[in-house]
Order: sequence, then C-alpha cells, then structure tokens
Amino acid sequence: MSTANPQRRAVLKGGSLLTLLYSIDGIATLLSPREAHTKAVALQALSPVECRTLEAIGEVLLPGARSAGLAEYVDYQLSIDFGDCLLAARVVDVAPPLAAFYRAALASIDAAAKRTMGSVFATLPAEAQIVFVKTMATSDPPGWDGPPAPLVFYLLRSDAIDVCYGTAEAYERLGVPYMPHLLPGTAW
Amino acid sequence: MSVANRSLEYREKVDAVIVGAGVAGAILAARLSAEHKKIVILEQGPNWQLGDLLSSQIWSRRLKWGGAPVELKGAHPAGHSFNMGWGSGGSAIHHFAQWPRLHVEDFRMKTLFGRGVDWPIAYEDLRPYYDRVQEQVGISGDHVREPWRPPGEPYPLPPLKSFKQAEVLANGFQNIGLRTGPTPLAILSQNYKGRAACLNDGWCDAGCPIGALAQPLLSDLPTSLANGAELRTQAAATRVLLSGDGRRAIGVEYIDHSGTPKRQHADVVILANNCVQGVRLLLNSATSHHPHGVGNSSDAVGRYMLTHFSAGLAGMFDIDMQNHLGTTGSALIGQDAYARPEGSYSWFIAPAHKLSDVLGIANVDEVLFGSALHDFVRRAAKGLGSITAVGEQAPRAENRLILSGTKDAYGLPIARWDNALDTREQTLFATMRAEGLRALKAAGAGQLWASERWVYQHIAGGLRMGAGPADSVCDSYGRCHDMPNLILAGAGLFPTQGAVNPTFTVHALTQRTADHLSEHWGSYAI
Repeated sequence: MSTANPQRRAVLKGGSLLTLLYSIDGIATLLSPREAHTKAVALQALSPVECRTLEAIGEVLLPGARSAGLAEYVDYQLSIDFGDCLLAARVVDVAPPLAAFYRAALASIDAAAKRTMGSVFATLPAEAQIVFVKTMATSDPPGWDGPPAPLVFYLLRSDAIDVCYGTAEAYERLGVPYMPHLLPGTAW
Repeated sequence: MSVANRSLEYREKVDAVIVGAGVAGAILAARLSAEHKKIVILEQGPNWQLGDLLSSQIWSRRLKWGGAPVELKGAHPAGHSFNMGWGSGGSAIHHFAQWPRLHVEDFRMKTLFGRGVDWPIAYEDLRPYYDRVQEQVGISGDHVREPWRPPGEPYPLPPLKSFKQAEVLANGFQNIGLRTGPTPLAILSQNYKGRAACLNDGWCDAGCPIGALAQPLLSDLPTSLANGAELRTQAAATRVLLSGDGRRAIGVEYIDHSGTPKRQHADVVILANNCVQGVRLLLNSATSHHPHGVGNSSDAVGRYMLTHFSAGLAGMFDIDMQNHLGTTGSALIGQDAYARPEGSYSWFIAPAHKLSDVLGIANVDEVLFGSALHDFVRRAAKGLGSITAVGEQAPRAENRLILSGTKDAYGLPIARWDNALDTREQTLFATMRAEGLRALKAAGAGQLWASERWVYQHIAGGLRMGAGPADSVCDSYGRCHDMPNLILAGAGLFPTQGAVNPTFTVHALTQRTADHLSEHWGSYAI
C-alpha cells in the first residue's frame, strides 16, 4: 500500500483516472482503457467472440463505450484477483469468479439473439439490437439461458458508464469540477 | 486447501486478540493497548493507508467487501457487499459519516409499540458515550435545528456549508409540512484537533484522505500501533479456539497472507469483524462442546439480522443545483416520521452527486440507455436533486444467517442470509416513496424518478445483546453469555437499529465496552 502523504487538493492536468497495467514488448506500460483499445492490446480473460459481443452491446447501451475501451476495461478487471477488482459487479453481490458470470452473460446474449432473431447480437440490425436490449432491461428475452437479464443489463451498462463517465475527462467535458484529493495512477 | 491438512504455527500468547480492524476493533485496540495490554489485530483485507484513498468512484470499490461471498436468499434478499468494508478501517473508510443518534424510543420498541424487543440498556446509558464520542471525533451539526435529536450536549462544530440543492429541496419538504435540519455529520466543518476541514467535494465514500471524515485510519488504528499493538492484515480468521473443556476461548485460528494456517492464543478473544462474518466465525467454530457453534446455546447466533430498506428518489430542476458540492450522504435530515406505531423512517436530503457508480447520476434511471442516457447525464449533471428515506426493519428470528453448503477457498462454509420484509415494512416503504414524490413536486421538480423497489443500507444484528441466554448471544458489554472471555463488538449487537445510520452508535457502544473491559479486566482474563 502507498504511504504517500495526502495533499489537500491534487492538481489535475488531464490525467486519466482509470489506468490499466500492460506489458508491451516486455515493458510495463500504463494505459487508459481508451489507449488500450487504440493500441489493440491482447485481451487476457475474454475471447474474441466475447469481446465482440461485449463491445456491440456496450455501444448500444452507451454510444462511445467501445472506443472508450469497454472491452479492455472489463477484460483487465476479470483477469486480476477479486479483492483488487474494480467492476460494479463486486459491490452488488455477484459471486466470484466474475469471469464466469461475464462469460455466461455474453453467451446468453448471443444464444438468445440467435434463437429468436436469427443472428448473434453483434450482427443484428441496429433496430433489432435496441429491441433486444430494451427487453433485457426488465426481463429475460425469449430463449435466454443465463444470469438474470436485467442484472446483466445493469452491470454491462454500469461498465459502459464507468469508461464513459467515471473519468476526469468526462467531468471536464460536462463542465463539472472533478476536485480530486488523490489521483490514481502511481499506485499501480 | 483444507485447514485440517496444514501444519499450524503457534505464536506467543497475548492479552487480547481482536478479529477485525474496523471501528469497533480499532477502538478496543486503542484503549487496551494504551493500558499496556499486548494486542494482536487480525484483519482479513488489505492494510489501507490514507494515501490509498483515491478520488475515484471506480477505485473506491476496492474498499468494499472482497472476501468470501455471501448467499443472499429469502423473499426479499438483502444487499451485502456495498455495505461492507474490506481491509483496515472496515466499512468506516467508505461510510457517509451521517451520524444521527438512536432515539430514546429505539431502546424500548417492544414496550412502546409491541414490536421487536427492548434493549437491555436505555438511551440514558449510552448518552454520555454519544457525548464523549462526538467531542472526540468532531461532529458538525445543529442540535436546535434537529428537533428530533434526543438529549445530549450540543455538537462541537457548526453544520457544514450547504448548497442550492439543499435549499431547493428543503423548501419542498416545508411545502408539504415536514421539517428538515442539518444532518449531523462526522465530517469537520472547521479545522479541529489538528485535522483539516471538509472541502465539500463529495468524495466521502471513496475515502477521505485529508482527515476531515472520522474513521479508524485517522486515530484509533495509528494510536494502537503506536502503543505497541500488532496489526496483521490479509489474515482471515477461521475458528475461535476453545479450552479442552469448552468453557473458555483461548485464541483464534487464521489463514495468513501466504495461505498458511496459524493460531494466535490470547487471554481474551474479541470478535469485532462485521456481523455477517462474526456470525459465520462462531458457527464455523462448532465443537463437541458447542455443536451448534460457539456462543450459540440460545440458538440466537445469526438470528434477528437487521438491515434498512430505503427509498431513493430524484427530480430534475431547470436551475443549477450545485449538486456536485457537499458530502456523499446528505446536507439535510428529516425525522418527522420517527418513533411511531407504524414504524420509523428518516429522510436524508441533498447529497453530492458523482456521475458514475451505483449511486451516481447515470444510474438514477436504471432502464435508460443509448443516446437518451447521454442526454440525461448532461441535464442531470447540473439539475438533479435527490432524497433518500431509510426505513426501520424490525427484528425477526427468521431473518437469519446460517452456514451454506457452499465453501470458500479454504474449505469453510460461507454464510447464507435469509431476509424478508413483512407487510408493515412494505407498506412503510410505499409511504416513504409517496411522501418523497410529494416533496420533490412541492420543490418544483419537473421529471421525477422513484424506484419501485427498495434497496438496502446498513447491516446489523445476528449477535444481539440481551438480559440472558434465552434469546440473546451476549450482554450489553458484548460479553458472550456462554463464554466469559469472548467479547463481541459492533453493530451485530444491536437488538433493533431504528432508522438511523449505525456508526455513531457502534462508537458509543464500543466505548462503553472499552470502559467495562478496562475496569473489570481481571474478570475477563482469568
């Protein structure tokens, strides 16, 4: 744990509040989820199919989530110890391992979409994706076979909110003072 | 890994081993170590420092429960992890520091309303401790403008500054005939005893690293360590060790940071971990002398669990509500609906808002998505006002923690918690919700949001105090009826918990226990 002496007010100069630690070419590198997405870092917990589904539904839940690094953020958190995990699932009593929950949820999305709409979620027309997600918000879609769909909706939506609105940049964009005491980053 | 299959390392016997480095454990460690007792504290989570309390809603989740899962069952499953702490400081390092006192009536619910049970002590027994604690930690408030507050000394500090949101919402409550006053907060409105005043930036639940918000990392834990107490973190207690005849606790078995089972022997064993894990530890400590768990001759261990059901509401206003300013909890409190036959509830009004996280602006309308969600966040970042009512759940034997058939990484059964609200409580929730909607409308809100379903705050009970072992686990000092040197501490002791946040009462109750331990140590450490 850090023993840094807290400051009365940290100075914020565009730093990200959500950084992930990667090894790139053998060098430890801190990246924001958005930077990790741009650099197309290798995912550790999610398969390419799961990543595609997560990004597709994330983009419907909150446009911009894909480029903000939703998949990279979730993948990173699923690959570390539960006690260090920062996902909202941790605080709403989803039992670890969280990777199992996410895999079951993403598989259910694709299976139900394919069964009732003829295609996995990522390749559904935009209007069909919206109808599917709207159903998930309140009940299990037809053919659903996984964790309760409203819980999946809530958590994937929370993850999208994290990468889009959990950062200092988002506050700055909205004109809301962030006013941090201590910024994450050095503690990784 | 099975505990039974690993060799145990025996350590030097100490005066007291304390399980849990939250509020209760830290208070007792500070007091006993000041009296030259040799103390070891076992804490399951990490060893947080003030410098770890980062200003981020995302990072704040590290401070919440990260241990063995809890199975949540029953007609209305409760919420657990959001309410619990993980590591030194316990839940107090992310708590909102709203510190109302329990009311006089909360101690006599059975006598007055035929509901639940009376405490074995009265408000007057705790009053001097409430007064002592508020002076020690520095509570900001105004006892005159908080007309419901039971007798006691005035708060040592004036209320925190409030902002437009509080002004607007107070008018709404006033317009429907309800009173509001400054929330008593364990957050400094002025510099106090070498600690810095609050900056009104709303980072309370991410942990306050500047020391404005009272919590164990500021005083009791550093005091304990300075006095020579030893804090072992990442040390998960697995069993209370008993003497051969089963009459005394002799220590605690735990798994250390490397996964190695160890034992710490002590004259006095204090369980100050949270009530869920405290119950689990007693039940997992069953022996031939105590086949249903240690301290459980009454079959009361794990029964009478308590939580608060709450109604969260929000309204959109077409002015800048300055809603990013203030504290995570609230600026104002209202208790006109307290201590009544139909049950108590308290209003907490005008919290500081963050954009993300469970209580964040973006989660106010939980089914909104797509570009409409972006639009909502943009408007709400300036115009949202919100209120929360906290309702009293009565103790019932069937709201209970037991051991699950599922086991944790060490092969020990995890806890299962069955919870249900009765008809009266569900009716009270509907009343709270309807009243909140009226207040928001009367404040001038346009669009309104009110969850159809309650959410849960605070966890208490399961280790309740009482006059004897017939229906309680311990006495009012936390001394286990079945075992004279086993002490229980924390909110688990509450027979009822009113409709107020528990932390102030945990402080007061634990200070009382500390006095008793100090004065009667010889009767504990025989």
